[in-house]
Amino acid sequence: MTINRKIAPKLYPISKPDLIRPQISKLTNGIPVFALRAGKQEVCKIDFVFKAGIWQQDKQLLASLSNAMLQEGSLNYSAAQIAETFDFHGAYFQLTADYHYGTASIITLEKHLSKLLPVIEDLIKNSCFPEAEFKNLINRRKQRFLLEIEKVKIVCQKKFSEVLFGKGHPYTLGLTSNDFDTVQLSDFIDFYHAHYHAQNCEIHLSGQFSTEIIESLNTHFGGSDWQGPAIKPILYTPECSTEQLTRINKADSIQSAIRVGKLLVPKDHPDYFGLQILTTILGGYFSSRLMMNIREDKGYTYGIGSHFISLNKAGYIIIATEVDKKYEQATLSEIEREILQLQREAVSNEELDRVKQYLIGEFLRDFDGPFSLSQAFRNLHDFGLEYSFYDSYYTTIRNISPEVIQSLAQRYFDPHTMHSVIAGQ
Amino acid sequence: MIEFSRHRLENGLDIILYPDYSTPMVAMDICYHVGAKHENPNRTGFAHLFEHLMFGGSKNIPDYDIPLQLAGGENNAYTTNDLTNYYLTLPKDNLETGFWLESDRMLELDFSEKSLNVQKNVVIEEFKQRNLNQPYGDTWALLRGLAYKEHPYQWTTIGKEISHIADASLTEVKEFFYQYYAPNNAVLVLSGNIDKDHCLNLADKWFGSIPKREIRKQKLPVEPEQIEFRELTVERPVPDSVLYLAFHMGDRLIREYYVCDLISDILSGGNSSRLYLKLVKEQQLFVELDAYISGDHDPGLFIVSGKLAKDCSIEKAKNAIWAELEKMKLEPVNALELEKVKNKLEANHIYAKMGYMNMAQELATYENIGKAEIMNDQLNWYRSISPLELQQTAQKIFRIEKCSQLNYLAQ
Repeated sequence: MTINRKIAPKLYPISKPDLIRPQISKLTNGIPVFALRAGKQEVCKIDFVFKAGIWQQDKQLLASLSNAMLQEGSLNYSAAQIAETFDFHGAYFQLTADYHYGTASIITLEKHLSKLLPVIEDLIKNSCFPEAEFKNLINRRKQRFLLEIEKVKIVCQKKFSEVLFGKGHPYTLGLTSNDFDTVQLSDFIDFYHAHYHAQNCEIHLSGQFSTEIIESLNTHFGGSDWQGPAIKPILYTPECSTEQLTRINKADSIQSAIRVGKLLVPKDHPDYFGLQILTTILGGYFSSRLMMNIREDKGYTYGIGSHFISLNKAGYIIIATEVDKKYEQATLSEIEREILQLQREAVSNEELDRVKQYLIGEFLRDFDGPFSLSQAFRNLHDFGLEYSFYDSYYTTIRNISPEVIQSLAQRYFDPHTMHSVIAGQ
Repeated sequence: MIEFSRHRLENGLDIILYPDYSTPMVAMDICYHVGAKHENPNRTGFAHLFEHLMFGGSKNIPDYDIPLQLAGGENNAYTTNDLTNYYLTLPKDNLETGFWLESDRMLELDFSEKSLNVQKNVVIEEFKQRNLNQPYGDTWALLRGLAYKEHPYQWTTIGKEISHIADASLTEVKEFFYQYYAPNNAVLVLSGNIDKDHCLNLADKWFGSIPKREIRKQKLPVEPEQIEFRELTVERPVPDSVLYLAFHMGDRLIREYYVCDLISDILSGGNSSRLYLKLVKEQQLFVELDAYISGDHDPGLFIVSGKLAKDCSIEKAKNAIWAELEKMKLEPVNALELEKVKNKLEANHIYAKMGYMNMAQELATYENIGKAEIMNDQLNWYRSISPLELQQTAQKIFRIEKCSQLNYLAQ
């Protein structure tokens, strides 16, 4: 068979995936349960989600360490027994605290769940904060932190967050090594009691599981034995710096880290989708303008990207890269040139089509598998959005025109409103 | 049991098909059986540099990424000491685009000075980003250099030095391609939402006409048995001192490999493991402590690495680790402890099946080691290992004269 290798195979339009949605129910005490059944393997994941993130803390470390202490000992189980139970059943237990939530997650084969739930119940409801374990944890976390702030990209990221949001804002990465030395165990215990209770909890379930699982969850978590006061909403307003360029010295760094960006619209704003597409054209995929110019043409860097980040209370664009010091200025000018180019000239249909196809492919990838589907739900639910959000996104990708993209670039991407942070020698 | 089928084209290209209809996507993985260990010692980092060049356009297709993006696809690649792996994912309807792209770059690359120079620069920046600009970035280079004196595992995939990359010529690039990139030196794995006949037809259509090539057969130097304790101390501007102990162990195809894997789990798999409970939490000598196997296909390394607590000396740290290793040699592991690590491996086996892309990569890796079928024997191997075997292997491996110790000290 002779084939003409110069001709690309025919392409087919990619249809919008049918998203599996969770079934919503409530435990007897009112805790909402979002159960999303998908996948082939008998594996399930349960997330116990508490509004106990950085947003809720009035001192550094409260959210992350109160959360991490959950596996360090409870009324009926020592830290070692807790670890042994999860390990013995091949289960993964994870504790995470982010800007808004403190979460305890378990991934396990469903058949082991009856052995695991009593332990999870005890560690969530009756965490006892042993002092020795606490001190040990602080030491380990401090050493980890000291390593992190040796990295030039972390130094840069911390400064960039401060430039965007201002000192003291929860989205500003303001942790210092001193914070580890001044902690009081009692503050963590108070934070735990105020935030880890039934009134502040949601349960997200995903994977393959039987219907009895909801009953078991009700047995362990549906009672009135772990009530607490409702959390009051707290308001913070970003205080963006007036400096356009900030430079921090980091001795002995071979490469400089660069971050450029600004605050953009929240996720429920009508321009959200268009800006997401615009950011992708600029630096959101391998053939983006920034990658093609700064990596593939100039070879200044191993990688450069732009991302439109949506947090619950703010959205921002960030352009990030690490380059040799000698390419610092050249990189900044090229970034600016690419932004101006987006304002000056409408993107070609050809390039826009490519980005559209890429984003629709991403759409499929993002919704693949039970845990991703559950995350896709969280990405709506946590922002107070409905599934129609994804329909609108899909429609906007399909239909957006070069002119609309250009006008968004003109309205939002004025280089004089962008902040640059460089960390390096 | 992982159900897959195996096929071979006349030109020697092996094909593995693993259907998973829980996804609308297909993963296509092409693994070339060439890695950093096949490099000339004066041109280290070449396999990885070559991986970059594979994205610079092929004979009939000037740009690899654009057509893939138009098909809604995404791709990436990685190089290890043993292999170079390229993978992409596509919506199932546009699968043929993947065949078209991958077959053309197996057929012939569009070699150009411009592309070579840019990618050299990118790789040199990657070298700096990974090895020089990161605290502890040169650890692997030091440790491999200490543990291996003959075998090419002595260098890392990024290469021994920047000049090896900077000096690479276009002629060398072409030679490398024709010596290693060929249908008879690769495996094609397709996983996800696939139809067997359709895939085989497409494989024949696009890959069938690529000629078989003469593969450079190399006998890699065998690492002589280590008979003397080795120690290297370096000082670096890092926040904490780290201690590494590396021991030589068996290759990927022998039983010893699996036994070592279980030993590493007993020592440091999870928060209930021995090293974590005893040395991190109880004695607080380390803030992080791990035991793991390097996973190399030729005889590899069993490594224990620990980041020291502020007031702990290297001497004290070393003795504490050795005490735990001696315990593995002296006493058989109890049945429950062994069951625990086996349970974990079984669960991991099921978790792994949740990702079609991960499965494609795993199958390709096992095919590189020997045969993808070994993937299905693994669990039985692990299940059959006894406490006595763990003890005997520990006695064989954990010997001072087979140990390379790296003291990576904070200045």
